[in-house]
Amino acid sequence: MAGSGFANRLYQGEANIQIIGRRKMWFTIAAVLVAISLGSFVFRGFHLGIEFAGGSKFSVPAVVAGQTLTAEDVFNAVGDAVHEVQPGAQVTAAQQIGEGASANFVVRSPALSSAEMAQVKGLIEADLGLEASQIGDEQVSAAWGGAVIDKAILGLVIFLILVTVYLVVRFEWRMAVAALASLLLDMIVTAGVYSLVGFELTPYTVIGFLTILGFSLYDVVVVFDKIQENTRGITAGSTRTYSEATNLAVNQTLMRSLNTGLVALLPVGGVLFIGAGLLGAGTLKDLGLVLFVGMGIGVAASIVFAAPVLSYLKDQEPRIKAHNARVMAKRNQRSVAVSQDGTGTNPAASDEVPAFAGSTTPRPGARPAQKRGGSRPGGKRP
Amino acid sequence: MHPGRQLGVLGLVFVVLYLLVFFGAGASGTWKDRLEPKLGLDLIGGTQATYIASQQGAPPTKEAMELAQEIIESRVNALGVSEAEVVIQGNNTIVVSLAGKADDQLKDLSKAANMRFRLLTGVTGDVASVALNPPSPSPSVSASGSAKPSASGSAAPSASGSKAPEVTSSASTGGQGGGAPAPSVSAEPSAAPSASASAPAAEAPVTADQKEQRAAIAKKVGAAVWAAAEKLTAPVDLSTEPKAGLPFKPFSTLTPLEVNALDPQMQFNVPTISCEQLDKRPNGAIDDINSEVIACYQGAKVMLDKAEVVGDDIDKASPQLDTTQNQWVVSLDFKSAGQNKWAALTRKAFEATTSDPCYIAASSLYPNVEHCAVAVVLDKEIVSAPQIQGVLTGQSQITGDFNSASAKELADQLNFGAIPVTFESGPAQTVSATVGGQQLEAGLLAAAIGLGLVAIYSFFYYRMLGLVIFLSLGLSALLTFGALVFLGRSIGFTLTLAGIVGFIVSLGVAADSFVIYFERLKDEIHEGRSPRSAVPRAWHRARRTIISANAITIMCAVVLYIVSIGQVQGLAFALGLSTVLDLVVVFLFRHPIMTVLASTKAFLSPRVSGLGRALRTSQKEA
Repeated sequence: MAGSGFANRLYQGEANIQIIGRRKMWFTIAAVLVAISLGSFVFRGFHLGIEFAGGSKFSVPAVVAGQTLTAEDVFNAVGDAVHEVQPGAQVTAAQQIGEGASANFVVRSPALSSAEMAQVKGLIEADLGLEASQIGDEQVSAAWGGAVIDKAILGLVIFLILVTVYLVVRFEWRMAVAALASLLLDMIVTAGVYSLVGFELTPYTVIGFLTILGFSLYDVVVVFDKIQENTRGITAGSTRTYSEATNLAVNQTLMRSLNTGLVALLPVGGVLFIGAGLLGAGTLKDLGLVLFVGMGIGVAASIVFAAPVLSYLKDQEPRIKAHNARVMAKRNQRSVAVSQDGTGTNPAASDEVPAFAGSTTPRPGARPAQKRGGSRPGGKRP
Repeated sequence: MHPGRQLGVLGLVFVVLYLLVFFGAGASGTWKDRLEPKLGLDLIGGTQATYIASQQGAPPTKEAMELAQEIIESRVNALGVSEAEVVIQGNNTIVVSLAGKADDQLKDLSKAANMRFRLLTGVTGDVASVALNPPSPSPSVSASGSAKPSASGSAAPSASGSKAPEVTSSASTGGQGGGAPAPSVSAEPSAAPSASASAPAAEAPVTADQKEQRAAIAKKVGAAVWAAAEKLTAPVDLSTEPKAGLPFKPFSTLTPLEVNALDPQMQFNVPTISCEQLDKRPNGAIDDINSEVIACYQGAKVMLDKAEVVGDDIDKASPQLDTTQNQWVVSLDFKSAGQNKWAALTRKAFEATTSDPCYIAASSLYPNVEHCAVAVVLDKEIVSAPQIQGVLTGQSQITGDFNSASAKELADQLNFGAIPVTFESGPAQTVSATVGGQQLEAGLLAAAIGLGLVAIYSFFYYRMLGLVIFLSLGLSALLTFGALVFLGRSIGFTLTLAGIVGFIVSLGVAADSFVIYFERLKDEIHEGRSPRSAVPRAWHRARRTIISANAITIMCAVVLYIVSIGQVQGLAFALGLSTVLDLVVVFLFRHPIMTVLASTKAFLSPRVSGLGRALRTSQKEA
């Protein structure tokens, strides 16, 4: 069972899926997604929560002194109270949060002052026969939402600078650029999903969005680490172009990436499930949703976007360019010699993107050259 | 390093952490109490209000921010909710939170804090308790108290004042360490006449609203009592007639708001109005520059003249070490317009004769006075009341019993007055206890589901090695919990729902570092190494990746923590904390455990380790 089957080859890192070879396709897909997202920002905008638009929110328990209130009761009570204080103000329909005895109804109104809030609460209490401590409320000025966004942007900028420096020091500038490109793609597409689907944007969404930054790069670092290992001293040999070595690294880390992605998404899925399913709305749902979407896209981007960008950038580097040309030249020589025996020439070998390594690599997904020597004579085996 | 030694270090970390949890940083109460992390309002219910402070449109300086916090704190205390917490978040946000209770007053504290310079024109003891419970024995009891203020007060202020070389351009203060004219009945006689003398001062116009309020109060205290109070021209002298305060008893039941509606003279004269009531008057109660006000200072009620100089007039204040005297002073500069006003005010204080009310007031507050004192009032508090030692036309110096810290404090306060900090109301919310409990439950449930899913996945994928993952996650959780409890007590870290989500997200990060390691191990075994040699090699390589990847997460958390406000901080802190703890567990637990496991036979069995498939494949190929 072990030797065959796609799943097993995937498991062993030998699936030899052409990822780098299809980099034009990935770039096109990425460009389309970015275009759609940007278009959506412009034409659809975002659905802002009260934290950004400014406003007030009242939450009223669904069960009062053994009596169950309906959404309409609460809507009417809050609406009347708000109208009394601010005639002409519109309130939203009551939204139920939670189930059973601990359920609450949430009604939103335009921004009220602290004094008005207290007055409204007093009226609701009198109307529904509640105690003051049972009514929850929240008031936010639009300025606050602006401050949150400002801080978020500041944080984003500082983080990007730090991370760029780190990646340049830890890897090299081309890897840093590729990693940041993948990060940007992740962010733009995540924001695009929010804009297109019309999910509500709250400060928690912004928090979650910033958290994705770290995670998205986490995945990229794992992949790049392997690429760096595989391509160390690549110019010394002439068996493999940079892109091929990168593709190999991506294949080898594919299982790892899928695993880390899945394992990170599982707990976030738990948050989303509880937040959206059980509570209906609030912090957990906002955070869970943005993390789920962003991390998912991040995992995908680290595999199919970061590495292709890197290989593209590397192929422009004079040293790698020369190396690639040398590999291709050698390969052509050999294939001319071999084609007579009918071993088959891979037409892709002369492709502009020199990534199809099938004809020359001894077996799909082979280990990097420098390691192969040491791997076979493993001591214990017969 | 030997695996045993690493596990030993981990054990030590555990012991130290939990010793701290149970005995460190103010742990008290039962064992269970000591294990309780500090939970945010969204998890237990309560009231929270946010104030964004700014100084001329920009974020305030650090000093100003700390003062702003103190001011908000004193405003909160004035509301009678001392258990409310006031903390600074970020560089310009102050968060007031009250756990478990709803109190809408906390949401209305955004009034700007102003500074006023007012001539001190009257002093009387805060004698409400004495007035209500006159000492049954003879007044001789109170006589013993008379020695107190002068004795303790004379040591510091007057001595330093007389030493000051530049009398004309320095003011000496008695503020620091000056003796409190505590509720000593005998302190009044001297002060009483002074107040009466100042009484004829023009009264601020009474608004219709105030009239209405006063009429209501008159009804509440009774017409006879009200009339008696109105007739008072000086504080009731309790030293000669201990029972004289009793008729005014109804005034002690007035709310701070009602006290505020009274005429300042009445607030001052009626002995049953206590400092406690005065201190709880609404914010801005003594802000009006055009009226006399009553405040409390060093345990006495003081009457203050109209504010002739305000904070805006100050140019700059700074603490300085006067090298000739080797003592700390606070130098004070005024803007040019302010300088004239200040000169006029100090002339009034300096040239006062012994019969002037302000002179009498100053001498009942300090011993050996020669001139009147000017009170520096910030918001509702007198921060200092220095005696004026000259007509100050240039730079002024406040001398007194300062050390470097107290001089800096006063200078900060003066600067704060110069550039008032304004507050803007940020988000405010009340969470009912039921909703709080529900959110906590949901957060914990989400965490449990997350942990469960990760555990199932790792057992499914890595078989028995899943156990190592599971154990490490458990260990991480214990470490995190300990750190949470300890940090909650020591630096006030509060766990909010967003924080819980941060921990849940970090579950994924923690599990990721296993995946990286195990996949690496698979690679090594696949390449034909024996488990025993593969483990150290895989560790060596995975370590690099894990550190790089975790470094990014930590970087992200630190940046978010520093620049963010509110709940973001909670999430960032949780994420950073658990990532650091993950590294601890990775190095001190997982690596040694794997080293130990690698030498067992079971490790090679595909059914046990989940690495078997890689192992078998590599054998087959060989």
